[in-house]
Amino acid sequence: MKGERLLIPLLLLAIWQGLSLIHVIPSYKLPSPLDILLGLKDLAVVGMPPGYRLHNHILYSLYRVGYGYAAACLIAIPLGLLMGWSPKLLKMIRPIVEVVRPIPPLAWIPLAILWFGLGLRSAAFIIFLGVFFPVLLNTIAGVLSINPILIEAARTLQGRERHIFFKVLFPGAVPSIFVGMRIGIGIGWMTLVAAEFTGVKEGYGLGYMIMTARDIQRPDEIVAGMLVIGMIGLLIDIAIRAAESMSVRWR
Amino acid sequence: MKRLALFLLFHLLLFTGFAYGGPVRIAYLQSDVHQLPCWVAIDKKLFDKEGAKVEIAGIFKAGPELMSGFGAGAIDVGYVGIAPATTAVANRTARIVVLAEVNAEGSSVVVKRDGKVRAIPDLVGKSVAVPGYATVQDFLFRRALSKYGVSPEQVNIIVLKPPEMLGALRTDQIDGFIAWEPYPAKAITTGVGRTIATSRDIWKDHPCCVLAVDEKFLENHPEEARAVVRAHVKAIDFIMKHHEEAVKIAVKYTGMDEASIRLAMTNVKYTPVLSVEGEKEYVEYLTKMKYIKVDDVPAFVARFMRPGFIRDTAK
Repeated sequence: MKGERLLIPLLLLAIWQGLSLIHVIPSYKLPSPLDILLGLKDLAVVGMPPGYRLHNHILYSLYRVGYGYAAACLIAIPLGLLMGWSPKLLKMIRPIVEVVRPIPPLAWIPLAILWFGLGLRSAAFIIFLGVFFPVLLNTIAGVLSINPILIEAARTLQGRERHIFFKVLFPGAVPSIFVGMRIGIGIGWMTLVAAEFTGVKEGYGLGYMIMTARDIQRPDEIVAGMLVIGMIGLLIDIAIRAAESMSVRWR
Repeated sequence: MKRLALFLLFHLLLFTGFAYGGPVRIAYLQSDVHQLPCWVAIDKKLFDKEGAKVEIAGIFKAGPELMSGFGAGAIDVGYVGIAPATTAVANRTARIVVLAEVNAEGSSVVVKRDGKVRAIPDLVGKSVAVPGYATVQDFLFRRALSKYGVSPEQVNIIVLKPPEMLGALRTDQIDGFIAWEPYPAKAITTGVGRTIATSRDIWKDHPCCVLAVDEKFLENHPEEARAVVRAHVKAIDFIMKHHEEAVKIAVKYTGMDEASIRLAMTNVKYTPVLSVEGEKEYVEYLTKMKYIKVDDVPAFVARFMRPGFIRDTAK
């Protein structure tokens, strides 16, 4: 069964390599799979720019994402719970959310640099914006989706508001919160790469690495860098799914 | 039927870019006063007068981006830095030939006016912005460092696009930058910055921007290429003879104030004459930096630039 799953991708890779070999796909437009592998090796061994090696680019990018992601979740989840709980608060805050939410995080880059400088904090701010709204909106939706009968039942049993909040609302909203967190990390990871395009002070970051590879005209390393970004995005998604299924079991 | 087949073939060729009949697609760098000959030639309709109909195919923020435009087959003629052009040809992402120089010198290292940095060696441990890796300025800055025995690892070199550099310097995000004019001049006229080295100090008469053409375009349209170079030479002549009017054109195309432009132009030498020796130095240094790999430098340079072309352009 496993072989079947790999059949189509391997066939496509073979066709791609073949077309590159007979120069139907010019290497300056799209390098061959083998060239990309060699580019990946260069990224890991030589570095791009030379001396700045791949593992450090990955670590810096993960650090920026972790920073922005943690900040966004820490603010968005409690706020979302409160907004879902109190119709009054929801009414008051919603207009602001609705205006700010459609602004693409990348449009904030010039302001982010002015406010937070180049590097960690400005990139983390851009990621924060990408993560914040999906997590917030899904948390609110999670609370609102809880069957009101459950809350009423808790109230008739003389449950205190505090207990209702932590024992009914929060657990009830967890599945939806996880959906938001998964969407959020996807957007955050994508945003990071673009946020690093504008320049970073530390000299490291996957987006920055790709832009440098463009400056030095190495398409093989550009594509290799894109693949690294894709793979890490996939691994993060797998990790969040695992956490999600663990929490479901816990409930 | 035959007619229909021919008709289809013609359009197929047209769409794939083989049959070329339209205007010459020209590109230059945004707000780079080195590109003044290009702007003069456009503004004074010199390209038209010499027999080359041109259209502006792209205005780019830095050389490597413009070279990607060549790689995409979207540009016929480009005004671009010699370093990104060399890098793209050596790494085979664009097929171009250099037919004329545009300017020598014209960049500066700028630091905070009232800061502690007074000279290049003071930049150890500081952050300095360059417009991109493998740009002329990246090259010049590393050369300036080595002149003072400082290794590039001792300085935090980061990439910022020139329009963002002034703001970054003003807010202490960076301690200095190297950029093409008029950005250094603008830092001075706004009172933010101070020049600690011009590119003339770093390397006198170093080649900077060049007039590059797509190899295929040159092959298929030698007449138009000659016309472009003729117009380019006349534009430089115009800048020499009509300085005041040239300043006005530079103001128009950069959108900058006149004081900055006047100051900037004192730092730029416009010349159409190619420097083969200068290009050899670029190739050797870019190889040393591991940006490119060229084994036979003279052969590479002979293919890369045609210093004799300018003589053949007379009508």
